[in-house]
Amino acid sequence: MEYSDSSDKSEQRCNSLAARLRAGNRAAAAELVDIYYEQIYVFFRRLGHSCQVSEDLTQESFLAAWQHIGQLRSGKTLNSWMYRIAGNVSKLYWRGHKVSKAVSIEGIDVPDDGEPECDKTGHLERLGRLKNAVAELPIKLRQAVVLHYMQHLTIAEAAEAAGVRGGTFKSRLNRALKILKNHFSEDGELL
Amino acid sequence: MNEEKLEKLLNELADVTEPVPPHLAEKIKHQIPQQLSPHRGGLDTVNIIIDLRISKLAAAAAIIVTMILCANFLGGRSPAGDGIYQGGKLLIKYCLGGIGADRSNVLIAKSRYEYLAQRVKDVVYYGDSVDPQDSNVVLIQWKLSDGEYRVVFGDLREKTVSAEELIRLQAQMLQKRAR
Repeated sequence: MEYSDSSDKSEQRCNSLAARLRAGNRAAAAELVDIYYEQIYVFFRRLGHSCQVSEDLTQESFLAAWQHIGQLRSGKTLNSWMYRIAGNVSKLYWRGHKVSKAVSIEGIDVPDDGEPECDKTGHLERLGRLKNAVAELPIKLRQAVVLHYMQHLTIAEAAEAAGVRGGTFKSRLNRALKILKNHFSEDGELL
Repeated sequence: MNEEKLEKLLNELADVTEPVPPHLAEKIKHQIPQQLSPHRGGLDTVNIIIDLRISKLAAAAAIIVTMILCANFLGGRSPAGDGIYQGGKLLIKYCLGGIGADRSNVLIAKSRYEYLAQRVKDVVYYGDSVDPQDSNVVLIQWKLSDGEYRVVFGDLREKTVSAEELIRLQAQMLQKRAR
């Protein structure tokens, strides 16, 4: 379920969930897991952690969330709060393991949309190249790209999740895009 | 490649399916603590102080000032009343961990005096002029309704004494100061 849309219903639900979490409601904690566990696991994978590590870090993120439940201010900040915790867990992992090389996501599976086979192959190749280029980005830039373009957080949410100001986050995104552009020619072909 | 095209490709990359391990949600749910409770105010204060890494003395001073402000704000009629003082006493003793205990006692007595000054008449504070290392020195005294006096000593002991005994204690203090 997407929590980045600003519909009233979704906002109300987030506010209700946040209030119940702050009150120490276990059912709300289980609801939080249902909403976020897939997103957080995929977030770790996209940051370049292996499957096993992503699984462990996802569990660790929720444990950290239970411990810091008092810091959750409102439903509006639920998304960024959860990703901020996950981002910190990831940062601690990188720091502890001194591994900077990301593990790329296996296989790219794009749904069949009736495109000719050769076009599809070229497109997949471009996506594969882009995926590797993202994995090679410095951690902070990679996190910015993943949060905004892949996890679909707004700039404000992503900046809060990354623990930086909006301007700093935009600057990181621009730097990341600049690096990624270097992997492609002007007409979008692979270099 | 222009930026728009690159952003579109990145968004497409987001659609790449990534299998999530089965039973992951269940594993996480099993770890939900039985008592899921947010930090209480006091603990949060201590955590903030630890995070800020300020010195123990500065932390103790910050807590005392906050308590005095709270007591003043409540006009000395807080239902927590004496609890603020007792809590502060314990917290400061813990924070200072025995280092400069005499100084910590004076700090505590001062906050106690400021609290009492708003509640009772004839309260006298001697903390600015006595030797804080002397555990038998009188730091604060005030008169009780039955004509006796309540006294707080240098080691923060409290005792109810008669007027005669108070005079004797004050005489001892004067003698020590004269030396």
